Amino acid sequence: MRTTQLLLGAVALSVLSGCSTVHGWFQGKPEPAELAAPAEPGLAVTVHEGEFATIQQFVTPGGVSVWLVSEPSIPILAVEMAWKGGAAADPAGMQGLGEVVAYSMNEGAGDLDSLAFQTAMEDLNMSFGCTAGAEWTSCSVSSLTDNADDAMALVATAFAAPRFDEGPFQRFLREEEVGLQTRETNAGYLAWRATAQALYPDHPFARETTAESLAALTPALAREHMRTLMTRDRLIVTAVGAVSPAELAPLVDEVAAGLAEAATIPEVAPVDVAAAPVTEVVIDLPQPQSLVRFVGPGIDRTNPDFFPAYVLNYTIGGGGFESRLMKTLRVQKGLTYGVSTSLDPNPMLLTWSGGGQTKNESAGEFVAGVKDELQAFIDGGVTEQELSDAKAYLVGSYPLGFDSNAKIASQMMNVRQDDLGVD
Amino acid sequence: MKRSLAAGLFALFASHAVAEEAVWTPSTFTLDNGMEVVVIPDHRAPVVTHMVWYKVGAVDEAPGKSGIAHLFEHVMFKETKNIGPEEFTSIVQRSGGQLNAFTSWDYTAYYERVAKPQLGKMMELEAERMVNLIINDDPKGPFISERDVVKEERRQRIDNNPGVILQEQVLSQIWKGHPYEITVIGKMDEVAALTPQDGLDFYKHYYSPENAILVVAGDVTPDEVRTLAEANYGVIPRSGTPPTERKWRAVAPLSETLTLEHADPKVRQPSWSRYYLGYSQLRQPKETLALEVGLEILGGGMTSRLYQSLVEQQQVAIAANAYGYTSLHDEGPAVLSASPAPGVSLETLETALMTEVEKVLAEGFTEAEVVRARNKLAADAIYARDSQSGMANLFGGWLAIGGTVDQLLAYPDDVRAVTPEEAIAAVRAVFAPDKNYIEAHLLPAEGDL
Repeated sequence: MRTTQLLLGAVALSVLSGCSTVHGWFQGKPEPAELAAPAEPGLAVTVHEGEFATIQQFVTPGGVSVWLVSEPSIPILAVEMAWKGGAAADPAGMQGLGEVVAYSMNEGAGDLDSLAFQTAMEDLNMSFGCTAGAEWTSCSVSSLTDNADDAMALVATAFAAPRFDEGPFQRFLREEEVGLQTRETNAGYLAWRATAQALYPDHPFARETTAESLAALTPALAREHMRTLMTRDRLIVTAVGAVSPAELAPLVDEVAAGLAEAATIPEVAPVDVAAAPVTEVVIDLPQPQSLVRFVGPGIDRTNPDFFPAYVLNYTIGGGGFESRLMKTLRVQKGLTYGVSTSLDPNPMLLTWSGGGQTKNESAGEFVAGVKDELQAFIDGGVTEQELSDAKAYLVGSYPLGFDSNAKIASQMMNVRQDDLGVD
Repeated sequence: MKRSLAAGLFALFASHAVAEEAVWTPSTFTLDNGMEVVVIPDHRAPVVTHMVWYKVGAVDEAPGKSGIAHLFEHVMFKETKNIGPEEFTSIVQRSGGQLNAFTSWDYTAYYERVAKPQLGKMMELEAERMVNLIINDDPKGPFISERDVVKEERRQRIDNNPGVILQEQVLSQIWKGHPYEITVIGKMDEVAALTPQDGLDFYKHYYSPENAILVVAGDVTPDEVRTLAEANYGVIPRSGTPPTERKWRAVAPLSETLTLEHADPKVRQPSWSRYYLGYSQLRQPKETLALEVGLEILGGGMTSRLYQSLVEQQQVAIAANAYGYTSLHDEGPAVLSASPAPGVSLETLETALMTEVEKVLAEGFTEAEVVRARNKLAADAIYARDSQSGMANLFGGWLAIGGTVDQLLAYPDDVRAVTPEEAIAAVRAVFAPDKNYIEAHLLPAEGDL
């Protein structure tokens, strides 16, 4: 995702017709000459010839902005849809509302109840499902090209006439009731909670579902909230598959037709991670190994130091077996199966974080080892060799992100969500 | 206008389908030294997945040496005659590559994913460690610290997770007396006792070109791969060691029915499962396809019999599944499992689940259910083609246990040919009332945290 911005590189712009690509996609990447063929009225497509993928951008007649990579070699279509606004937009005291909206989207629509809807998806060999993240609500569709029309028509009914039946709603609550219990012995969840409470206890990102918040939910509230979360004005779409812009546009419009036109969602304030006090939290859990997590302030993409920081992170903990933490804590000391770090460039919660697992007896040694390595990094910086190794990997591994339709669709979506621009 | 466009599209699709088949169909050949080669073309991006599969796994371990196949896999990254300590990974990552390895009961595989121009260098590296590995025997050296890493890996994968601890115990009962009885990562005390000499013996015995399969998937032609493979791997002489008989054998039926319980303070949600002895795709190809279709209908997803009955209608479960371990060389279990809804006892859950199974055994499947299930399995094979590394794994894993490319290519047609009679016959044979099974209960420990 981040390397996309680094390197998408040389871009050729041209306007083309959707029709011409119907032929183009049987012959591999469209040639500029073909793209200038006679236009179908109303669908202006901007083509970005990236180094490893040709992205076609267009706005459908219905007004939806789509990025498409036409990939003819496998007869499948992957469509990703996303709306800014997720769990952080749950009204206070109703944590879980966005989640139950997402859960319900493939649980019945129009004349089809949950079982009939699921059966229809199986008959089409398609999948469709939605998720609610903190800041984004997302849906994915995959279909065989032969069934793409029918698959997208089924998704259209889910957006136009979702049922929010009592049966699936109660099932969601039963699953959540179990989830409230199991999360209390899940090391990763407990570490997340401790971090959230230490860094931003009053922020919407720190809120959790509770028995009370779940009890406050109703199918009617979910139905109403769906019209707030999933609107036509905030919809962004990416797609990869054996399909042309002219073929995809009417399918997207059909899907978007049933969405509410617009709605406002609450703004989320950025978390000031650097302002939080430095703390160490220890939580008891009866298991042989301890999970160690550490979190600190990150850096924004717009900061001129972002790319240097990104490269440095490879050397300290992001570079797999090549990182200093891995070489010291795993290779030399045999303390852990894996330790790593990463930068999260989310402007609302900029963090640099990392962690690993080690037997309980060596948790202290693990923490000390991380601190020593960080201190040595601060004091001594990187060597020339480390810097050139990091750059060689980050540049050289760039094409690996383009070898599957699913990877390309999700990378494009990340770029769109972060508002990075196609190049 | 629309009609003619559709007709035109159809014509293009039809001719395209033929061309497409030829474009991605794998080809195979064998080098003079006996190393098999599989090439799976995928020209979407200038990327290749390069894998070397060795026909050795945990099944081949000597008594008391459990975990050596997997620990040895770790040691392969350490040092060779011409590559310094820990340099192997540095060279691959400096080349923009991603790399790792994995070990199963049946095989051990090493891979690098790189931009196409780096393929030759990756072959050079894998060929080097096929013959020139150095195992440092310093009693405080890298072999020993890697052993500690594997112990941490075992804690992370198994010992931290009550559900996995129970699963390890159950599988050990299902395969009692068979080499699969011991988990791949090995027993903690036996791993702790492995020595550099054990590693060296294992290397000398099993690592040779005639015991390996090269799989290259991605932006390459068979001719390009042949040229590079002959130059890098073709020059390695056969080891001359006669191939060792693998310790595979048919898994014996269970001699008794057992219930295993594991209680742990970390368990907040109980679960119930029953393991019956099922089939292996390799040993019972036809029965396995029929069983896969049957398990899909019985407990494959939200439309399945178990989900609809237990989760939707009776609301005694929050999850209910049926699945099989069919991709090993020898027979693996077919499993029924469920997780209770809040307040429901495992006893109530078990009664409801087995009542539904008995009903299926008595009444059979409908034609519509069978058509849906087999179409899903066939479509999964098309979706699987989206992942280059997934395809390399699929073909490598199947060939490493003795299967052929043609068998895998025939899978969608074969699975579509399964009849309702065959599907129910397979399910009846595996879950027959007179069959023994291992039942597993995962429970919260008394006296909470």
